Amino acid sequence: MSPRPVDGSDLSPGRRLFAGYACDPAFYDEMFERGGVPRPHSRNLWEALDAMPPEAAAGLQERAERSFLHEGVTFSVYGEDGAEERIIPIDVFPRIIDAAEWAIIERGLRQRLEALNLFLADVYGPARILADGVVPADLILNCPQYRPEMRAVDVPHGAYVAICGTDIVRTHDGFLVLEDNLRVPSGVSYMLANRRAVRTSLRNLFRRCRVRNIEHYGRLLRESLSELAPNGATEPTIVLLTPGVYNAAFYEHMFLAREMGVELVEGSDLLVDDGRVYMRTTRGPRRVDVVYRRIDDDFLDPLAFRSDSQLGTPGLFSAFQGGNVALANVPGTGVADDKSVYSYVPDIIRYYLAEEPLLANVETHLCRDPEGLEFTLDNLDRLVVKVVGGSGGYGMLVGPHATPGERAAYAEEIRRDPANFISQPVLDLSCAPCLTGEGAAPRHVDLRPFILRGRETRLAPGAFCRVALKPGSLVVNSSQGGGGKDLWVLAE
Amino acid sequence: MLSRSAQGLYWMGRYLERAQHGCRLLTDQMEAIEDQPVDQVDRRWRRIYTGLGRAPLAGGLESSRGDDVFMLVDAFTLADDLTFEPNNPDAIRSCLAAARENARQVRNLIGKDMWSRLNVAYLELREAGITEIWKDRPAEFYVRSEDAVRAFLGIADSTMYRDAGWHFLELGRFVERAQALASLLDAQLAVFPSAEPNVESAWHSLLRICEARMAYRRLHSVEYQPHTVVDFIVADTRLSRSIRHALGRVSESLEAISGGEPLAPEASRRVGRMAARIDDGWPRRDPDDDSSARSVLQEIRQSLWDLDADITSAYFDYDVRDRLPEAG
Repeated sequence: MSPRPVDGSDLSPGRRLFAGYACDPAFYDEMFERGGVPRPHSRNLWEALDAMPPEAAAGLQERAERSFLHEGVTFSVYGEDGAEERIIPIDVFPRIIDAAEWAIIERGLRQRLEALNLFLADVYGPARILADGVVPADLILNCPQYRPEMRAVDVPHGAYVAICGTDIVRTHDGFLVLEDNLRVPSGVSYMLANRRAVRTSLRNLFRRCRVRNIEHYGRLLRESLSELAPNGATEPTIVLLTPGVYNAAFYEHMFLAREMGVELVEGSDLLVDDGRVYMRTTRGPRRVDVVYRRIDDDFLDPLAFRSDSQLGTPGLFSAFQGGNVALANVPGTGVADDKSVYSYVPDIIRYYLAEEPLLANVETHLCRDPEGLEFTLDNLDRLVVKVVGGSGGYGMLVGPHATPGERAAYAEEIRRDPANFISQPVLDLSCAPCLTGEGAAPRHVDLRPFILRGRETRLAPGAFCRVALKPGSLVVNSSQGGGGKDLWVLAE
Repeated sequence: MLSRSAQGLYWMGRYLERAQHGCRLLTDQMEAIEDQPVDQVDRRWRRIYTGLGRAPLAGGLESSRGDDVFMLVDAFTLADDLTFEPNNPDAIRSCLAAARENARQVRNLIGKDMWSRLNVAYLELREAGITEIWKDRPAEFYVRSEDAVRAFLGIADSTMYRDAGWHFLELGRFVERAQALASLLDAQLAVFPSAEPNVESAWHSLLRICEARMAYRRLHSVEYQPHTVVDFIVADTRLSRSIRHALGRVSESLEAISGGEPLAPEASRRVGRMAARIDDGWPRRDPDDDSSARSVLQEIRQSLWDLDADITSAYFDYDVRDRLPEAG
């Protein structure tokens, strides 16, 4: 059952866990400065971990994995033998972000989400930014995620994106935003599950390090969603709409419904009548005010979007258009996290807020531009090329790791439809120590904090820290061998 | 509460009760194998299979007649069929898997401790197999499995908020219990007619399965009179595994769920009629003639099927449009 057995058998007793730890200086190390001196904020953590007998560390790891299995912190993988439940891999060594670093991230995320919501209100409204030529109009209007149905829909508080999960990486140059996930971002339950498992394992250390609390995320989410209720209802009925128990993220849907104390509904539990949304309860139909939907736009409503969808509820979108129900996130937010639009986000921030971006973007080349295309094709062996509408790391070319044949084939695909591709340099993602069969070893990490927006913006001081568990791998996606770590944001 | 959640809790209750009933039947049967004559063991298998309405595997019962070796081989096959057979939806493992699937649907409504207990029980049972349990005393395996279900129900009892969710879980458990007992009693009378002498052990085992032996001894006698045993398991409201007790619990939960409103009037009336039938007319019969008792038991079984349909159409599967508020 364990995806990554660390039984301690390869660790000789008495050997210090960090004895063989060596981070390539090409990468920023989250725990150590150059020369192997622990960073000031990591000193407590390092001392505790390094002094830990290898068997004890393996025991903690085993206990965390067992608790995930028993509690069902799992996702389903479908293979030839039917569905198999796997636990979300966890590494018990926490990653630390100190107060000053977190302040930068938090301010940057607030700024970014503010600008992106203004951008969405604009492109589905007066479209000034397109008229002013800051973002090319055809890029937006031809984007498959652009939903003309959203024009002239009044969105409460301009909260087009009510829940955002932004991927941030760290390099020697500081923090960079890798991706804005503005549609149906997932992973926040793992932020909380990792915290619960690791806090139990390392409770004394946790207390000593003065880690900021994230347990109130469910309350923040519920408050944000409540503020979106139509007609200012003060005690709105909120539901979480899931594709169902077979969805890979079902654990998270269940978890969030429980944390918020709201019903977990499927599309068939809802019904739209006379522009109002009801759910089927044991005491008859009950009116629903806010739907936190974890179903993609395409499947939300067979009358408005894909007609073959079995997951959604017919008429849901028109009820939303009529102002009778709130959807979070609203349909059509994908136009702002499209990988081509991404490269314009710094300009978008400057345009709406007249401020410089606090968090930088990764250098991005759009193949829809002739210069971008030429640069990409000329440097394929040093670049990562991504499909514009893709996600989850699928359909991506990691140039340096590809064979010349693979690169040539991919180049053909790019030439066939350049607008569908962007390229970025291979990022030197920072490393953090992980527990392996050979003791502590560096693995690449990123982080995904979750930012909420109702009437105001809310943020829990934490993130789902993703880690590439394979040595040397830069791919942190859980669908491709990635796992999670607890992320400790320290108090001042 | 959400209809689908209520349905999930109801079926979770039914499957848990079914799993527990299976454990109790097999605990008893495994002990019978240790100390009962072959023909008695054989008849008890018939009782189990008749009660579950399942056809035994081809020839499974016939071949065992009078031959100890065959009997044990068959016991292995039959126990496997009732415990692990993936194509048997009433096998203990299938029931526990179904209970867990339903629990997964309603995990946001049940506590973490409840879920973990059930999940661990399932994960353990998933790893088990007839060959392994046969190496040791199989009866102990069934006791352990039943304990897992009981532990889950104990956690539920001591942690769940007594809202409709709790009562749908109870409703499922006790509808299933009444159904299982009515079937078991009917099968008992079919296989061990009351008029037949010298089958004390079969009545002793029935009382054990119904957790009724000690109470019966204190109340009645150390001699088991078939009609008194049947009456006890049908009608005594103080016996947790009696039909009448189960109906009382069903009735209480139906009332709590409807909260005084006429949400499922047909279900309430039906339970009332069943209870009244037992309270008023049940015991008066010729002690050696089982036909009237069996026909009432069969009526009760049918009524319980209908009750399930009443509950489903009142709470889970009604047409929403019929019950929308008037426009405007």
